[in-house]
Amino acid sequence: MIGSIIAVFLFEWKRALTFTRMLWWVLLAAFPVFIIGLIRFIASFDPRHAMESGEAISEEWRELCAWLIFALVPMLVSMLGTLLWTTPAISAELERRSWIYLAVRPHGGTAVLIGKYLAAVTWVIPPALLGLSIAVPLAQTGDSMRIWWSMTRLVCLSAPSFAAIYLLLGVILPKRAMVLAVAYTLLFELVISFVPAVINKLTVQYRLRSLVVEWCELSFRRPTQTRIMSLIGNESIQTHINALFIMIAAMLLVSIFILRTREFSTSAESDI
Amino acid sequence: MIELQNVTKLYGKVIGVNDLTLSLEPGAYGLLGPNGSGKSTLLNLIIGQLRPTLGTVNVMGRSPRNNSQLFRKLGFCPGGEGMYSDVSGFDWVRYLQRLQGMTAHEADIAARSSLELVGMSAAMHRPISSYSRGMRQRTKLAQAIAHDPDFLILDEPFNGLDPIGRHELSNVLRDWIGQGKSLLFASHLLHEIESITQSFLLICGGRLLASGTAEDVQTMMLGLPNEIAIRCSNPHLLASYVVREQAAESLKVDGDTLSIATKQPGILYQNLPRWLSDSGVQAWEMRSADESLQALFNSLMKLHRGEL
Repeated sequence: MIGSIIAVFLFEWKRALTFTRMLWWVLLAAFPVFIIGLIRFIASFDPRHAMESGEAISEEWRELCAWLIFALVPMLVSMLGTLLWTTPAISAELERRSWIYLAVRPHGGTAVLIGKYLAAVTWVIPPALLGLSIAVPLAQTGDSMRIWWSMTRLVCLSAPSFAAIYLLLGVILPKRAMVLAVAYTLLFELVISFVPAVINKLTVQYRLRSLVVEWCELSFRRPTQTRIMSLIGNESIQTHINALFIMIAAMLLVSIFILRTREFSTSAESDI
Repeated sequence: MIELQNVTKLYGKVIGVNDLTLSLEPGAYGLLGPNGSGKSTLLNLIIGQLRPTLGTVNVMGRSPRNNSQLFRKLGFCPGGEGMYSDVSGFDWVRYLQRLQGMTAHEADIAARSSLELVGMSAAMHRPISSYSRGMRQRTKLAQAIAHDPDFLILDEPFNGLDPIGRHELSNVLRDWIGQGKSLLFASHLLHEIESITQSFLLICGGRLLASGTAEDVQTMMLGLPNEIAIRCSNPHLLASYVVREQAAESLKVDGDTLSIATKQPGILYQNLPRWLSDSGVQAWEMRSADESLQALFNSLMKLHRGEL
């Protein structure tokens, strides 16, 4: 089983080394750098010049950059990368009619699912970290190392979390996988995650948002801003991390269960 | 080896397999049926990709559904293509052998030897997108046999092969059977199956209509309505013998060909040599007037329903 997962992982990585996919890789890395650079340019603000002239880098600038980098890298880059890679993990095999070759191998379906999941996660994290490594110094927040390290940890949590969600959605509805994944992202991660109610705790963004506030020591931590607390919660850092790991494990197990119980035939959609 | 007990498979309101009961010992079998007869559904039930709506399926004593132990002993060559076009045939077969549980080195050797066996040595490192249909068929067969399974299931393996390719593949499969391994081979062409094995399963409308050797099936066919065309030196004279013995429902003479429709082909075949001898008519060719396999299956279907 482990050998089969490794085989799928290596095979998928080898297939990913194409011009088109590498172009996506570069685009994912360049996107946050471009946005941060653009904001620096538009704002005409040079933090280095401000430091040399003895002005303190404002807390507002630091927070703005931290939130922006969070939105761009652990959220957008991770979401987009995993959405493109993991959502069609099974549907692509079914459409190509290659699924049957994989399904008649010992633990073939499970190995393909987990192997592709790992390949997607490890494919998305490097461009995110590369983008982060350029965008954070470019932002010049004054505590670049702290921001970088916080975001790196967040990327390492967000990519596997979003990948597990999109993988599950792709297994639940393979024929409409991308539509379902986009709808989920818009509805849950971008709308419901901001609803100040218990339901937002079910979203990945809620956990990541709470972690970025803690790790980057953003102003939402101040107890005076109680109204905001429902958006970031008051659970401990470990609780948020545990919640993400439990979500990942649960979604992968449900995906495997669905895959093993559902019928994917070579004949169902064509000849009987 | 394969046990199906009252198996029915429904796709919504469409019947794929209809109350099929079957027991096969290890050996080589041809699954013959027209397009849409339920062959692929039956194969998918046997390899555990489909669950029967009713009834039970057992392969090698166990349910084939999610059965990893069975998959180690099973080789399957599907009817559709479905291979990754952007990888080479070698990489594809090697990848599938890795999924079979082999180490990288074992998979290398298995992929190489199986591709050589099906005549793909020269092209194995080219991308599959550059393969002809026949080359893809060979590659599909290679991935099915590379792990040396005990039981091989092939769905229309000769599709797209030229006559030389068919001959070579037939040899490979005959060698396979010669090693004492089991084979189930689905096709809608009788001669394809006849070139490999003499044991048939005839399926149509999701029902098993007949099974046995070619001789068994021919014996069964003797009692079924038939239309025979005989090209001979004097068709009118030969027709008079047929009418005298009341062995035909209708007769038609067209040039040197006499077409005979009969419900008693057995009597016709039994007496024909004597009629030819007595009349001195020379027969040059005798064939079924209706060569459509569907006609044969329609007759078998009526027999199955008790209409004949």
